[in-house]
Formats: sequence, structure tokens, C-alpha cells
Amino acid sequence: MDFHFTEDQDALVCALQSILQDHAELPQAERFSYCYFNETLQKILTESGFLDAGHDIGALEAALVVAETAKLPVMVETSATGLVAPMVLAGEKLAGPVALASVRNLEKAHRNLTIAQTMLVDMGDDVAILTIDPAQVEPVNSIYGYPYGRFVTPPDLATARLLVGQGAVLRQWWRVAIAVETAAASMAAIDFTVDYVKQRHVFGKPVGSFQAVKHRLVQCKAYAMATHYLAMRAAWSADPVHADFAACHAQQGVQKLLFDMHQFHGGMGVTTEHMLHFWTYRIRALQAEAGGVYGAAIDIADRLWSDGTQPVNLTSAARSEAA
Amino acid sequence: MEFGWTSQQEEYRQRVRAALDDLLPDNWDETYVPESYASDLQIEFSREFCAKLAQRGLLVPHWPPEFGGAGGADWDHFILGEEMKAAGEPRGPQYMNVNWIGPTLMQYGSEEQKQQHVTGISSGKVIWCQGFSEPNAGTDLASLRTRAERDGDHYVVNGSKIWTSYARLADWCFLLARTGPSRKDISILLVPMDTPGVSVTSFPGLIKDGHLNEVFFTDVRVPVENRVGGEGEAWKIVTHALSYERVGVPRYHVGLEALKLAIEQLKQEGRYDNDPIVQSRAGMIAAKFEGARMLTYLVVDQRVKRLPPNTDANLSRVGSLDAVTDLMNFLAEFLPDALAGGDPLLEDYYRINIPAGVTGGTNEIQLDLVAHNGLGLPRG
Repeated sequence: MDFHFTEDQDALVCALQSILQDHAELPQAERFSYCYFNETLQKILTESGFLDAGHDIGALEAALVVAETAKLPVMVETSATGLVAPMVLAGEKLAGPVALASVRNLEKAHRNLTIAQTMLVDMGDDVAILTIDPAQVEPVNSIYGYPYGRFVTPPDLATARLLVGQGAVLRQWWRVAIAVETAAASMAAIDFTVDYVKQRHVFGKPVGSFQAVKHRLVQCKAYAMATHYLAMRAAWSADPVHADFAACHAQQGVQKLLFDMHQFHGGMGVTTEHMLHFWTYRIRALQAEAGGVYGAAIDIADRLWSDGTQPVNLTSAARSEAA
Repeated sequence: MEFGWTSQQEEYRQRVRAALDDLLPDNWDETYVPESYASDLQIEFSREFCAKLAQRGLLVPHWPPEFGGAGGADWDHFILGEEMKAAGEPRGPQYMNVNWIGPTLMQYGSEEQKQQHVTGISSGKVIWCQGFSEPNAGTDLASLRTRAERDGDHYVVNGSKIWTSYARLADWCFLLARTGPSRKDISILLVPMDTPGVSVTSFPGLIKDGHLNEVFFTDVRVPVENRVGGEGEAWKIVTHALSYERVGVPRYHVGLEALKLAIEQLKQEGRYDNDPIVQSRAGMIAAKFEGARMLTYLVVDQRVKRLPPNTDANLSRVGSLDAVTDLMNFLAEFLPDALAGGDPLLEDYYRINIPAGVTGGTNEIQLDLVAHNGLGLPRG
């Protein structure tokens, strides 16, 4: 049990941060956007090999890349491309960015579809791989902090390449990715809010000096930190129940966190000029994915307490071969 | 970063479980656990049980060998605590002795105190109680009023302590008393509970009998050599002592056991298998307990590495309390009969946790500490 980075992990994160710091700023023209996808940064991360960490090093290292990028106000796609796809297709690299979807709602708007080159579709037991034709995608305006798009005509799944029996693996790593992104964006939103409530005064005192504010901020911090380490453990162990724990924790905490973060910014929190929404509305978008909190919770219940299943030993954090 | 146990740690956990299997009586779950760990039954049992644990090297494995320990790693000690809690804490009050009273005396006690008390604690036969809270000084501990006036080579103690678990059967009290005029002029005295002038009154409450006691000190003469550290040094020493205590309770481990028990009960009554509401609520609570587990492990990892204390221990308590309160609501909503004689073990879990946000430093204090020292937010 070691909660600190190894030397290699530290080197990876430091190298990544040195790149990210040059690209974290929002262009002036995008200050009022709901979302800003930084295509240049996406290209740099791809070409410099950071999105290959899942293939070349391991899932935990890929998760660290996701966590660092998810803290930025600008958006890049690292979770499906750098974490989920490599775990679903061991040894094979897909053209990125990658988008994720469930066959049950394929006709609806999808996160990252307008920037994606490939989509992994959860078919239940199997996974379909779709190559995205940009001409078949129409952008959808959304409050969420990701670019959304919809298929103009439904994609032909019958001709899509199928990964037989990989549906559960896709859902597992999708949940890990949700938890990593949610934790990192929550941390960034909390840091942004803490800075704000230290500076903003009401009744002659900083907003952050009121117990009603600071106690709730600490509760949000506890939630975000716990989610972060659950997500990292799930990436390390490759254990499906750890993925369920991480996503379930991430998605159940969103309800309170989102309200509190915006509440503490008062009127500024409802403007797009204020940057808070870049993080909070990415978190909101992740809230219902991969089965949402109740889907993850029921999967936990199935794994822990279903009759006839092998009991899960929660104190034995063995690492799966898949990690 | 990695989250696994070493093979040595896995073997150690199995060794602890084997000891529990050997040493707990067959009627442990039915007879002892529902009585709770502050009951006379469990306190007396702990003297026998802890002495046997000590013989097996499992009472104070993390202590240095010169004090009766095995010089083991802090993770071993924590694994031991997880397994003991999950089994219903058969160490009774002695978890407190081994977690912080012993280590505090090792660091701040005189040679005579170490000889007398540390060895006694490591043998598993001595019961201590903690004389901190008072009727008008709980969260605001520095406002305590119990006074210790110097009279030659003795202190004369007058005042009272409250919420003092285990006091009725305790051999010694780790007492905080005011020895000077300023707010933090507080000293630590080690007081034998059979000293003339010490009396204990129990009172009933929502938690199980034995937890709620008031201890009265009337002209109690305590030798000066029973003071720990210098006069007025209690604040510094207690801060150190509480840093041991704050992360010491693996509530997630007990909580997950109680949740499992609740689900078994619901299954038996045919109220689980086809009810997605119950299942999803249970899954969400399990996820919260696992989150609390990670925050607790984070703090233990910092301690193993001898990093300076920070507010992560306070955060871990905030996370644990959140999960515990969700489970208590789950029990009250889906197994209300368990709290009305239907399931003594679940009722015990519920009642023991009624003050979970109050004991060992209130939740509001934890939140304040993180807000100021962790997030750097201004004081009001």
C-alpha cells in the first residue's frame, strides 16, 4: 500500500504538467463558451505519447494522465482514448479521439462525438467499434462542458467490427474513467471556489469565513479525495468491483458538489464568464454515464451479496492480470 | 502508487483471524457483542482476552521490543485494528491503551511511569479511562474546570468528568486538570481509580449501558510523580495523543460487516432480491465505506512514512461519518424492527454509532480544522 508516486510516475506527471501549463489558458474568444476543446493540445498529447501510457506502461499511469488533463478548464479527450480503449483492446491502438456510447441510446446526442474518429459502443455482451465519418455527425448545442454531437443517420452496427465478450470490460473501464475525471474536475472546481470565497467579501467578511460555507467545502473535498483514490485503486487493480465502487462514489457525490460549488459563487456562478462551469458541467455530463449511480450501485450489490456468487474479499486488494 | 497488501501482511491478517477464531468463545456473537464493548461483561472479558493476545504477540505488535512489543510495522497494527473491530472489538477499552495511552507514555512519561504502566498495558490486564470531557467542556476542551492544586508533593484534585467510558471498571484514569490560571495551564495526571475521593456514577442513554459515566473528584490526592510531562504541558501532549487516536478506528470495516448482516436479514425476510431500491441504496453505502477506507489508508500510509501530521486524518473522519450515517438511515428505513429487539447485533451497531459525530472530537471540529489548516480558509 503506497499512496505516493513512484519515481517513474512522478516523472510522467511532471513532464505532462510542463506541457499542460502552456495550454491551460482559455483563448479570449472562448471565454463565454460552454466548452472549449483544445485541438492543439490534443495533438501534442497524442504525438508525445501521453495517450499511449495505457498501452506502454499501465492503466494507473493512463489514469494519472486523465487526472491531470481533467483539472484544466480547457477540454481534451484522454479518458476514452488513453485509458478505456487501451484496456478494451490490449495491444491495439485506435484512431483517437475516441468516444463512448451505449447501443441503447445511440440515436441520442453523445459526448465528444464531434471530435471523435472512433466510437466504442457498449452492445451488452460485446463491443462494436465504429469509425466516425464527420459528415454523418451534426453538432448539438449543450450546457455540458464537452462537445456533443448526434448521428445524422443511425450507424450501421451490422457491419461494424465486433469485440466479442468485451462489453463488461468496456463498462468497467468506462466507470474507472468517469471516476478519474470526476475526481480531478471536482478538485479543480473546489480549488477555484476556495480561491473565490477567500477573496469575495459579504457583510464585511470573506465568504469563506462563514461556517455554512467552509464546512460544506470540506465535505466536498473529502468526497473528491475519496473518489480520486478509489479511482486510482480501480485503475491499479483492474478489479471490476473497484471500478463500480469508484463510479458509484463519484456519481453519488455530484449532486451535492454541483449545488454547493455554484451556490458559493453566488450570481457569478451562473455566468459563463466565470470559469466554474467548465469543470462542473463536465462532471454533470458524467453523472448518468455507464449506468449512472444506481447502475453502479446495483452492480456492487450483485458482486457483494448475490446468492451463489463468490464472496468478494474487500481486504484483499489483489491485482488482476489485466492491470 | 499501489494498493495491494504484501504477502507478509496477508499472512499477518490470517494470523489475527486465526487468533480470533481460537480465543473468542462460541457464544461471542450472541452473548457478548450485543452487550457492547463498554459493558461490564466485555470489559472483564478484555482482561482475559488481551492477556492471551499479548502472549501471542498480537496486542502491541507495533511497539518497540523494550516495551513488550514486536517492533512491527504500523500497517500490521492497523490490520490488527481492522480485524478486531470487525469482530466486535473484543479488546474492549484496551484498544485505547495500545493505540495512544501507551505510545504517549513511552514518549512523554518518566522512567518510573514507563516501567509501571507501559509494561502493564502490554500485558493486557489493565483498564484505563480517559478523563477529558466535562459537563461544560467537551468540544472546547481548554475550558475545563477540574482543578489540581499543588500541596507539597501531591496535587489535590477537585471537579468532575463526564461521558467517561469504562470508568466504572477502570484501574487508572488519564486525567486532564487545570494547574494554573491561563486557558492552557492544563496538566496530565495518572490517577488510580481506587484513590479515596474518586467516585463514578453511570447514567442511561441512547447508546448502550456502560458508555455514559460521570466521574467525581473530591479532594483526591495524587502524587506529583504521577504527572506526565511538565506542569501545563497537557495541551502539547494531548495533541500528540489525539493524532494517534483520530485515525485509529476503521469504521468502514465494521460498517461493511453490519451492512452485510442487514442484507442477510432482508434476504431472510424476502425483502432484498427483487427490490432494486434496497439493493442500490446498499451498494451506494458500500461505495461510501470504501471511499472512507481509502482516506483512512492514506493517513496510515503517511504515518508509516513518518510524514508530519496534516488534516487528512480529519478528512478521513468526515468521510467515515458520512457513510456511517447513511447506514444508520438504511437500517431505520428498511429494518426498523432490528432496532426493536429484532436483531441485537444491528441494534448494537446503531446505538454505538449514535454519537459517531461527537466522540473523539466533533465532526464540526474536524471540519473547522480542515477548513483552516487544510484549505486555508479564514476564521469567522
